[in-house]
Amino acid sequence: MNQDQLVACHHRALAAAGRLRLPFRSRVWRGAAGEFGGAGAGSSLDFQDHRTYVPGDDPRHINWQAYARTGSYTMKLYREEVRPTVDVIMDTSESMFFDPGKATRSAELLYLATESSRAAGAAVAVHLIRGSAMRTLPLGEVFSHRWLETARALASSEAGSIPDLSRTPLRPNALRVWISDLLYEADPEPLLRVLAARHGIPLLFAPFARCESDPDWNGNLEMIDAENGNRHAHRIDPPVLKRYKEAYVRHFAVWKSTSLRHRAIFARVSAEPDLATALYAEAVPSGALESSLG
Amino acid sequence: MMFLANPAGFWALLGIPAVLAIHFLQRKAREIPVSTLFLLARTHRESSSGRRWDRLVPSVPLWMQLLGVLLLAWLLAEPRFQRPRSVQRVAIVLDGTASMQVFRESLTQALHEKLPPLQGPAAELDLLVLESTPGRERLYHGSSIDDALNALESWNPGEGTLDPGPALRIARSLIGRDGILIFATDTPVENPPYDARLLAIGHPEENVGFTGLRFTQEQGAAVWHALVKNHGIAPAVRSWQITYPGGRSTEPRNIELQPGGLISLQAALPPDQESAILRLSEDVFTMDDSLPLVRPRPKTLRVFRQASALGELEERLVQSLDAVEMVHDAAEADLTLCTYDPLDPALPPGDAIVFVHDPTRAGQYLKGGIIAEEHPLMSGLNWQALLVRETIQLDRQPSDEVLLWQDQRPLIFLRSVLLENQAPHQQLCFNFDVRHSNATANPAFIVCLHRFAESVRQERVAPSSSNLETSQEIELTADPEFPASIEFTPLHEAHTTIRDLPASRRLRFEAPARPGHLIVKQADVPLLTAALTFADSREADLTHCGSADTLGDASSIPVERHTTADHWWRAWVLALLAALLTGWHFSRPRTSSTPDLSPSP
Repeated sequence: MNQDQLVACHHRALAAAGRLRLPFRSRVWRGAAGEFGGAGAGSSLDFQDHRTYVPGDDPRHINWQAYARTGSYTMKLYREEVRPTVDVIMDTSESMFFDPGKATRSAELLYLATESSRAAGAAVAVHLIRGSAMRTLPLGEVFSHRWLETARALASSEAGSIPDLSRTPLRPNALRVWISDLLYEADPEPLLRVLAARHGIPLLFAPFARCESDPDWNGNLEMIDAENGNRHAHRIDPPVLKRYKEAYVRHFAVWKSTSLRHRAIFARVSAEPDLATALYAEAVPSGALESSLG
Repeated sequence: MMFLANPAGFWALLGIPAVLAIHFLQRKAREIPVSTLFLLARTHRESSSGRRWDRLVPSVPLWMQLLGVLLLAWLLAEPRFQRPRSVQRVAIVLDGTASMQVFRESLTQALHEKLPPLQGPAAELDLLVLESTPGRERLYHGSSIDDALNALESWNPGEGTLDPGPALRIARSLIGRDGILIFATDTPVENPPYDARLLAIGHPEENVGFTGLRFTQEQGAAVWHALVKNHGIAPAVRSWQITYPGGRSTEPRNIELQPGGLISLQAALPPDQESAILRLSEDVFTMDDSLPLVRPRPKTLRVFRQASALGELEERLVQSLDAVEMVHDAAEADLTLCTYDPLDPALPPGDAIVFVHDPTRAGQYLKGGIIAEEHPLMSGLNWQALLVRETIQLDRQPSDEVLLWQDQRPLIFLRSVLLENQAPHQQLCFNFDVRHSNATANPAFIVCLHRFAESVRQERVAPSSSNLETSQEIELTADPEFPASIEFTPLHEAHTTIRDLPASRRLRFEAPARPGHLIVKQADVPLLTAALTFADSREADLTHCGSADTLGDASSIPVERHTTADHWWRAWVLALLAALLTGWHFSRPRTSSTPDLSPSP
């Protein structure tokens, strides 16, 4: 992808971010003051609960009407409003970019997550990860579209290896947006456990291309591994293709079930239709995105 | 039994490696980047690596295409099945000329190789072997090739150049239109008649041999003259010698001949020898390497002359004839020369030449056209220069056969005289006075006289000896009371073959085809002693021999006649189409009609 294509992706992501955003409102947040409801009591206008006054409480929040009725100090608690924390983790393995449509969709999702977080005033951190290599980007580098060069410069010890999320500085109580095609032969459990650690809220965007989900392979094929360029000779006939498709479906079924166990939001995003159509197909119904108009 | 009408159809089997190559090349032709290789490897480990054949086994299109190639090859090969009791008739006409002796072994080997395939798909082979020499019995007729080849061992070609057409026509009529007719020769010919296939097995060879013989009388001795010719294209050196009966031979002497050169050998035959054999050092063609000869002795003609005024003419006639014996008794004479006397018109009873003697003054020259009748005595003679004066005439009889006319007047006629218990006698009558004409200066007159005298000599039963050619037609006059026998001794062989001839006035037979000595006897009395020589120099010239083989043209024709087509060919065609459609069905790319935007489980 070149600079112009990234700019175009950015524009499409901005358009989508005007209608959709990350699920900030449907979650309870912890963190610095902001505009989204937090887990504790705060100084917002939203009444939350009553409790008995204890020394040290702010006397401005004593419910004097209740004191008049009962003669005891009762504190009026309001909902806390916090500023969300968002960690965007971008899988930059070669499989994310080997297909032009899938590369475009991956970039769009990165821009969408970043722009949506910025619009919500969230504290955004963007991490590029490639196997065991990781790099945290300043936001400016994302919006100046130089992130892809940085991603390509990441040198992993083993091309195509499983992303090592344990080295990523994930912040507590953060919405952890994990943009990855999830195409590696690994147990999802440890990865999702890392993402959900320290009260993190995992959110998985898995872009996919039709050439992966419904390929038209037939006959003898010289298959080139997108990760390492290795060539593999395969003879594909209809029964083999059928078994492949079944394995593909099973692979993502495991990811989805594991995500459910970790209360992670899992959304697959097709690369073929336009961005809004693809997002409304699964990301919105699964709760990975919410309407910013409601 | 099954046969393939078009074995070349199996070239279609080359499609099998082509199909395999295409399947392997497909793998190289389509290179696709893949991000889900681990899923493919997990579900389809047998395709990820291993032997190439493993990748071919489960491929339905591959098997369908291979099946299609096999069916196509089967259809193109045109399988046919043998008809019961089908017979392939093959006739071989062997060139009976003498030069075939050189290549007889080659011919046997060639036929041993060429004949078995000619049976083709037929259930049985009907083989007929003939010789191109007219009148010969067939050499073999049957179904065994080995027996036919064995029959060739006794075949001894020795004829001069002859036209094979009649023999080919007879052979074609015997085997019918569908039979295979083969003309086996040593010299290629263009387009042999009657749709005959050519099998020429010759090759150019050098040859030196005798080409002719004649005898002359020189100083009372019989001198033979033999011609030797080099028929080859290279100079040749040969030795020659004479062998006399009893084994005595002269010292060999060398002669050198340039290509196409001729040398005449001559020597007097010793008075005490009646025969001899001239021998040349042998080459590949042996028939002309030996020249047997005998001292020629024609039959003696006994002549009786009546005293007449034509004595000088008769004297000259007698002197011009060979082997004449003058007798003084008309009863002993074979030929009587006499004149017609109107006062005594009786003529001698036997063979005679009768002249008219007109002692009166001759009349005017006869007028009118001179016309000769068709008769052997008149053949080819020109009488137009004959001038005859009017003289007295012979008394003509109704049975007289006029040979020469001038206007309405017969000039020469032939009278037949029948005597009891004797063969008919002929009398040549000149119906004008020869003295009053220019007949003696006319060649036709002399030739006619000689012809008649020789015919009388031929009719005589008497011993003679002469040098003849092989396969020559011989006609002898014999005593009808006794049977005759022919004793023939070939050269280089000690045994003599004897052949009996029935009693007849005329003995007609063909001389053997091999050089040698021949004696015809009747009641143990030799009638003819002859030496047979091969004298056809065309056959002795082996430089034009060559090889050719057009038998291959005959192999494809009989297949359809002796076999029936495969009745299942329609089924094979349908199976071929089914295989192609099945292969296409399994190999076409499959794409879903609508994009699947939510493939999540």
